Amino acid sequence: MKRAANLFRYLCIALICMLCLIPFLFLLILSLNTPKRVFYEGNMFVPDFYFNNYVEGWMKSNIGTAMVNSAVITILAISIIVILGAMAAYTIARFHYRFNKLIFGILISCMMIPGIINTVPLYTLMIDIRAIDTLWGMALVCATIALPQSVFVFHGYIKALPREIEESAIIDGCSWFSSFWRIIFPLLKPSISAIVILNGFGIWNNYSQAVFFLQDSKKHNVPQALSVYFQQFAGAKWNLMAATAMIAIIPVIVAFLLFQKNLIKGLTDGALKG
Amino acid sequence: MREKKLGLHAFMALPAFALYSIFFLYPLVKGIGMSLTDWDGISKAAFIGFDNFTAFFQDKRALNDIRTTLLFAVGSAPLLNIVGLGYALLMDSKIKGKGTARMIIYLPAIISPLIMGYIWYLLLQPGRGFIYHVLDNMGKGSWFGNWTSGYTTSMMVLVLVNVWQYAGMTMVIYLAGLQAIPGELYEAAKMDGASSLGRFRYVTIPLLIPSIRINIVTNIIGSLSVFDIVMSLTGGGPGYSTETLSIYIMRMCYGSKTGYSTAVAIIMFFIILVPVLISMRLTRTKAMD
Repeated sequence: MKRAANLFRYLCIALICMLCLIPFLFLLILSLNTPKRVFYEGNMFVPDFYFNNYVEGWMKSNIGTAMVNSAVITILAISIIVILGAMAAYTIARFHYRFNKLIFGILISCMMIPGIINTVPLYTLMIDIRAIDTLWGMALVCATIALPQSVFVFHGYIKALPREIEESAIIDGCSWFSSFWRIIFPLLKPSISAIVILNGFGIWNNYSQAVFFLQDSKKHNVPQALSVYFQQFAGAKWNLMAATAMIAIIPVIVAFLLFQKNLIKGLTDGALKG
Repeated sequence: MREKKLGLHAFMALPAFALYSIFFLYPLVKGIGMSLTDWDGISKAAFIGFDNFTAFFQDKRALNDIRTTLLFAVGSAPLLNIVGLGYALLMDSKIKGKGTARMIIYLPAIISPLIMGYIWYLLLQPGRGFIYHVLDNMGKGSWFGNWTSGYTTSMMVLVLVNVWQYAGMTMVIYLAGLQAIPGELYEAAKMDGASSLGRFRYVTIPLLIPSIRINIVTNIIGSLSVFDIVMSLTGGGPGYSTETLSIYIMRMCYGSKTGYSTAVAIIMFFIILVPVLISMRLTRTKAMD
């Protein structure tokens, strides 16, 4: 009885995993077929191994530049979130000044507001400060959206650290400010990886802000570049579209495989404490 | 006390707050002002009171966008939680290959929803996509219709693709919640004669409330502000029928109705706020009070 139940469980999980992987498999097959072959004609599981789609997709789309742009935006934004977020969380967790409480309260109550709500007024601000079509501008926008959650996660983590850790350094004449950088910040590694994971993919994949703030094709990020490319080619070159989509998702999948151990832990830590 | 002395440490929240004020709070306040004007983004704005708001509720397209957005959320948020919890219950046992399975099920969630929409758009092509071929090989090719050409089927496709993509994310949170429940509690309930359904109802569910809360709130916010997946899968079509509020805001902004689009954003804010507050209230536990 128990064995049958276990077998059923394995079967279900195997089916779910297949359900998750099959679209990627068929995208891969589609991307390797010649343009002449109408999608999955003949034996649908055997592609033509026509790698030219990849070469053409890479050359004609802006995807290479877009990947560099996405990387720059993601690295910049994550650095801002981690550094400013940890600093703010430290003083809020350790020193109960009234303005610290106020700042924390504002950040927490705005945490739930999705970015689209203030995108239009932000768009006019970005024009005024000449931040449209700049990678730094986009990085600041993405960082701002993620900031409250990062303060929240760091705050929970720092609160759990005993005060004695810094106190010995303070007695030796170190200031609270420098004891944060020397003692506390290095201890934050687990929550830093949670923050990086919680936000990294989202910033790389951002589209709803990119559509407003990155209109110049030289500054497109990955989703923007892909969507522009697809809109120009839609209706015809399916294999080329599939190959370009593959190019766009491969770096994300590689990063996912590299970080996946930390990822699940970071996700659950970040979310459940948040 | 020494720590009370003001030093650099007291002002460490200021850089974060400055950034947040410039790029979030200021636009938020500015948006309220803009929503009361007829600004087109270029020429001088005139104060028109609440005209944008009344115009919104008289616009058929806008009302349809509310319906689409709500339908999408009503379909997505519960389904994501049911499927995610189901997956988590299946995975919550000592089985081999659990880590790999969890990773595979989570994989779709890391891909850009815009790109994921395009991928499904390719796979759903009528008469050519892979779903058609699978059905055709089973001799059921006629089951396949041009699903993205009608409203009902388009909405179903959008909801299902969204659930397919993010069930893994919901699962991971539920799984962490399930694993935090001490095994002794189940033992004790068993001793007291609780059936497996009773244990689920009186042990699992109450202790899972924090995870339920996070998942429901995140899914409500996420599905009510959906943008990417609709843009790539249906483009809001056929016509404007599957257009959601976020897409409407973007299009109105591009259509030089800057003032109007900020009014729509304020309306959308309340459409999100109400269900979020209700669900937070419903999932409040004694420990949080």
